[in-house]
Amino acid sequence: MSKFLLLAFRNVFRNRRRTIMTLVMVGGGVTGLLLVGGFFAYMYNGIREGAINNGLGHLQIFNAEHFTRDEVRVLDTGIDNWRQVAASVKTGAHVRGIAPRIEFYGMISNGVKTSVYMGSAVDPDAEKSLGFSTHITAGNNLDTKSGGDVEALIGAGLAKSMNVRVGDGLTVLAMTSDGALNGIDVQIVGIVNSGIKEYDDRYLRITLPSAQRLLQSDRITNLVVGLDATKNTDSVYDELAPSLQGQTQKLVLKKWIDLATSYKQIRSLFNTIYIFIGIIVFFMVLLSSVNTLLMTMFERTREIGTMLAMGTPRMWIIALFMVEALVLGVLGAIAGLAAGNLLASLIDYAGVRLPPPPGSTDPMKFYVLHVPILMAGSSLLVIVSLALASILPAIRASRLQIAEALAHV
Amino acid sequence: MNELAAMPELVRVEAVTRQFPMDHNFVRALDDVSLRVTAGEFLAISGPSGSGKSTLLNLIGCIDKPTSGRILIDGVDTSKLNPTRMTALRLEKIGFVFQTFNLIPVFTAAENVEFPLLVQGVSASERRQRVAAALESVGLSARANHRPDLLSGGERQRVAVARAIVHRPALVLADEPTANLDTHNATQLIDLMHDLNRRLGLTFIFSTHDARLLEHTDRIVRLCDGQIQSDTLTSDTPVAKTTREGASHEQVFAARL
Repeated sequence: MSKFLLLAFRNVFRNRRRTIMTLVMVGGGVTGLLLVGGFFAYMYNGIREGAINNGLGHLQIFNAEHFTRDEVRVLDTGIDNWRQVAASVKTGAHVRGIAPRIEFYGMISNGVKTSVYMGSAVDPDAEKSLGFSTHITAGNNLDTKSGGDVEALIGAGLAKSMNVRVGDGLTVLAMTSDGALNGIDVQIVGIVNSGIKEYDDRYLRITLPSAQRLLQSDRITNLVVGLDATKNTDSVYDELAPSLQGQTQKLVLKKWIDLATSYKQIRSLFNTIYIFIGIIVFFMVLLSSVNTLLMTMFERTREIGTMLAMGTPRMWIIALFMVEALVLGVLGAIAGLAAGNLLASLIDYAGVRLPPPPGSTDPMKFYVLHVPILMAGSSLLVIVSLALASILPAIRASRLQIAEALAHV
Repeated sequence: MNELAAMPELVRVEAVTRQFPMDHNFVRALDDVSLRVTAGEFLAISGPSGSGKSTLLNLIGCIDKPTSGRILIDGVDTSKLNPTRMTALRLEKIGFVFQTFNLIPVFTAAENVEFPLLVQGVSASERRQRVAAALESVGLSARANHRPDLLSGGERQRVAVARAIVHRPALVLADEPTANLDTHNATQLIDLMHDLNRRLGLTFIFSTHDARLLEHTDRIVRLCDGQIQSDTLTSDTPVAKTTREGASHEQVFAARL
């Protein structure tokens, strides 16, 4: 068997120029897949961490009913004893902090014009401690120390529509949890531009006490849990989920991935693009390898005839060609992995910048992550491709008529 | 002829015809050929180009099938064998020497000689021993680790002979073995094959129109237009006495190689 492998290995290097060309092609495929996949992985990481740090958090706690029915009244499906829940969760391992939130909606008025808003109430200190950022284009963030219970942030589109700026006052109207209409006066301290027009046209953020005063309720919509690292999400989830079962109210714990709809959509889109690139590489390697291996078979016709004449079983000839293709595939994959990782490191070192993506003003960093699963996957892809490419030449070689093969010039 | 008749028959060709399609007709490369070869013979098939020498060798070597007639190798009717058993028969009973040597270029001389043993599944230690003996018998022990491109034409053909005999076949078929060799190397090769024939009792059948080779043969079968024109015994066949005394071919071979 070792001699058989030796024969296959030596045959691979028989026509060095052709072997090098094949290795360049196979290795190029692997390198391309590593670079594209590594960049996509970096992009996914950026989007994921961006979503988490922009307020999604790693985990969120809701009243179980929040997902089973629509609210008849605001905070109808909110959490009652949230301070107690927050206190118990906060002591858990890897938990960096907890931020209570209220999601509500209503009307906003400047005395002349009234518009619809989608409101979010937060504890500014808790948000700050978790590092949650808000894209403020004018003014400042909410701050409880400077009388935060009357401060408000509004979206750039809403501010434009209402013709207000930082320092102006607004009246925020909403239905209380009892069904009555209530209103509070707030002062605009900052303008927010998230880059998503639909969001900015309706965005309002006030402090938690203001919202509770407005909605006449001590409930909150959810608790956002921030962890020390995203990789700990699953382990903390596994630990926290059972402990929430002991609460008087039925609560559910959601991971960030369950709530990050746009992240999942983007990831799904780019994964599809990546699979498409993978298919192109697969067929590129397959078709060109079939050609190369058929040429090899043609050149070695007499040699194959000799082996068959000497009593070599035809299956050996098939195996020989397939092993040669596998050797080529493995060597190509190794070359591709080396080149891909080297290029990725060079690109990362060079700090290449791409034009800003839609909705952003900052250039995007072209950074390529070294992802082991991509290395294994792309290597396997080209090896399988070469193995498949060898089937036709191998079968044709094994079916050669010995007398004709021996007379081949 | 009486001596030949008394010896064990190794090859029997019975009324064999081989036709090849050409354009819309058939060309008859062999036409009703019958031939018997006994163990230990050193037999030349001679004739002009296109006379059917290589076709007859291919048929005896079981790498082609007759259109009609049958061929028996060591008593086995090859027309009744399926491809797998035919392959096994070639592996066990026949060694080939080709005009263009046909060595595997990426293997060394020793590895080339070892190849039939690899296919036979012989153990590594026995392979080493038999390869060394085969290379020694063709005088190439010192060149064992050289690849074919570093060997002369004569050396390559001797490696091919070692490869043909290493698995102790009953029959060695050589198709124009001296055609690509100069006189010196051709003479050396003829002497080597004749020596193996005498020493080991190996049966050699080769096609040739090389007069140098014909001078050394015991029997010459002349072909012309696919038919046997003459079958001449040129000397008292030097078949090994042991073979005549009843020892099997393999016993003789194993004892002497």
